[in-house]
Amino acid sequence: MKGLSLMVLALFVALISFPPTWYPVALKVQLSLWFGASEYRALPQSVPGGQIDSEVFCPPDLLNWRDSQVIEGVTIAESLPCIADNPFMVAAFVKGTNNISHQTLMQSGLTPDAIEKGEDLDGDGDPDVIHIRLELVELNGASGESDQPVTQYEIAPGIKPGLWVFAPKLAGMARENFESKKARSSLRVPSPVIRIEAGDQVKITLENTHYMPHTLHLHGSDHGFVDADGQGNDGVPLTSELPVMPGNARTYELTPREAGTMFYHCHVQPHVHVTMGLQGMFIVEENRPNNWLQTMNVGAGLVRVPSVAVKEDYTQEYDLHYTDLDKQLSERIQDSNDPRLVTRSMHREYDVTDATADYFLLNGKSFPYTFRESIVVVEEDENVKLRVLNGGTKGIALHTHGHKFTVTHQDGVPLYGNAQVVRDVLWLATAQRADLALSTVDDGLHSYGSGIWLFHDHQNRGITTDGIGPGGNISAVVYKNYLNEAGWPKTQGVSFKPFFTEKYYQKEIPVWQSYAPELFSDVARDWLLFARLIILSLSLGVFFALLVSKIKYRGKPSEKTP
Amino acid sequence: MVKPAVLFTMAVILCGNVSLCIAEMDHQAHGMSMNMNSDGMVMNTNHHELPWGCESISEDYEFSVRAGRDYAKDNPGMVFGMNQHEYNVAPCSRITVTFSNEDEVRHQWMVHGLPSYLYPTGMFHLEAMAGKSVTGTFIVPGDHKTYLVHCDMAQHMEKGMKGQLKVGRGSGDLWNIAKVSGTYRRADYLPEFTFWIMALLGVVIFLLVLYIVRRTNRLK
Repeated sequence: MKGLSLMVLALFVALISFPPTWYPVALKVQLSLWFGASEYRALPQSVPGGQIDSEVFCPPDLLNWRDSQVIEGVTIAESLPCIADNPFMVAAFVKGTNNISHQTLMQSGLTPDAIEKGEDLDGDGDPDVIHIRLELVELNGASGESDQPVTQYEIAPGIKPGLWVFAPKLAGMARENFESKKARSSLRVPSPVIRIEAGDQVKITLENTHYMPHTLHLHGSDHGFVDADGQGNDGVPLTSELPVMPGNARTYELTPREAGTMFYHCHVQPHVHVTMGLQGMFIVEENRPNNWLQTMNVGAGLVRVPSVAVKEDYTQEYDLHYTDLDKQLSERIQDSNDPRLVTRSMHREYDVTDATADYFLLNGKSFPYTFRESIVVVEEDENVKLRVLNGGTKGIALHTHGHKFTVTHQDGVPLYGNAQVVRDVLWLATAQRADLALSTVDDGLHSYGSGIWLFHDHQNRGITTDGIGPGGNISAVVYKNYLNEAGWPKTQGVSFKPFFTEKYYQKEIPVWQSYAPELFSDVARDWLLFARLIILSLSLGVFFALLVSKIKYRGKPSEKTP
Repeated sequence: MVKPAVLFTMAVILCGNVSLCIAEMDHQAHGMSMNMNSDGMVMNTNHHELPWGCESISEDYEFSVRAGRDYAKDNPGMVFGMNQHEYNVAPCSRITVTFSNEDEVRHQWMVHGLPSYLYPTGMFHLEAMAGKSVTGTFIVPGDHKTYLVHCDMAQHMEKGMKGQLKVGRGSGDLWNIAKVSGTYRRADYLPEFTFWIMALLGVVIFLLVLYIVRRTNRLK
């Protein structure tokens, strides 16, 4: 009898603690007809946002690398964005590491054989025998001693996906110093843009400093299937040669007859290795007299020493390399320090047919870092050459605000007459290239005048970082009068402070906190409702326990019965 | 040998964190020495300068270190290695290392944590190009300490090129030294279904023990 009354009590408590907001609609309607609206209870308060602790937007240029300068007789154009390439390295790429003073070589950070330039075969005043050496570098890889990745490289604040790149041959450590886990500044994504001249006799030695086999495939560039000795020269393990093993090297040869914007990438398990970052722009420039080329453009972006042919038609040249990255792939190199386990995980357990891209990079960075180094800085009445590669797994719908560009080349092949279309959105499938002419003549078609005009992939995912916007490959065409002394765009919109924090991309900061905290900040929890639900669960627990015991012992003789 | 001013700039360039480097280089730039040629690089070689607390050179050692992929063959799960990963020397001794690279890519043999008044950035550094040898000399301080020796190319230390230099009794072993010390972050290397097998066996043994206990009680 006692048990039964306890059961009724538990059921009663459960019923009154059941929140009325969860009642069926019909019941709610009936109750409001009988009793009218319930009494006022304020919604939970807004939670005030904390102090936003952001990084410095635009690091100071302590070594004056942004300035225009002449090194080893090479005139290096100024680079106005906050972060510029090392001009000594640029000079070494132009002259060749074998043709510069020991001092410049040391200041470039390159080895003496990184880029060797030799004979002028056609007697036109520039070297035509070129030997390029490439190493392979793993960024944000596993450590044997810590769960933190090593040789760290951030694509956006706090985001360090595992990556592989081809890299120029640098002397010394991979890290910036012994105390740091960060990669030195020239070891970065994307793999360097390589520039040669049509007709050059080029050798590229791939020195496999990585712990997996790799090759070099020159996509779109005129090269023999085999070299002069009959050795495989296409970089394709299926058809032309065995891959280059760790600690080994192989030299690839080409003398390209046609100029154009091409592509190079690893062809070992390419569905994994290309996405991991083993891909770069490969540009064959037209042959001109006295054409001393900047053989590499580390980090892509502005070409500080453009070719003679480009200077004939354009005021500036930018290399724009778009990629995407699946974090479920890139984290696999961080899971284990045993290459056998990593190999199994990447090449057998990872299924690219189920893959989704999470990060979208322009020249190795996502917004807001793109604003530090991959903006296109212009003045009015310029004609700027943009070379674009989509190395990602998805297509990109490249869109420029405030401008309509002219497509002059596709996949390295020039377009003539009406084929040179004027567009503000251009679709680039995986591996496609386009050369664009960006006119800044304010004529209402090609440009709408001075300003800060974004350019980005117009597909929604491309402007996010793992689904958080603004992120991804957003960058901007910035007119000089909208750029401050330090190289930062004088934006007039929202504060960039939240974007320069790890927390924003960890989804911890409300997107409009910097300017509308009172309206759209986080909401406090309803602890009253929570307490009510705890009581509900306890009372239902008691009720069902008593019910089960009642059913189980039904009909059994009570101990008291004689 | 190169001018200090160039070394200063170069050290700054080699450092990504510019302000840290400038602060560090400020009081160290004077001593830095660097030799680079087509064979490789020798940084901070020191034949005669004694560390504080050493009155004379106690002993001379010569190590011939060979490096490359072949030296990882008997070390499962590693890709690169050296013929010797541990070096034992007396305090205040002078060490000459000839570092021979048998691979077709660069390798390094670097010691870290040396006194920075003698070795700028605390480092002695040998770097050999493919198939080349470089030689350098340095003098260790008098205290008993274990120093890290490694190749600082990306992933080379992680994949086998890690060693230790023990001066005197040393100060313990570092982790992950091939055939000397344990692997700090070791994978499990278990067969498939291990956890199911564990659960199944646990249940079986539980029931078995229950059965035996009941049987024993009944027999009593």
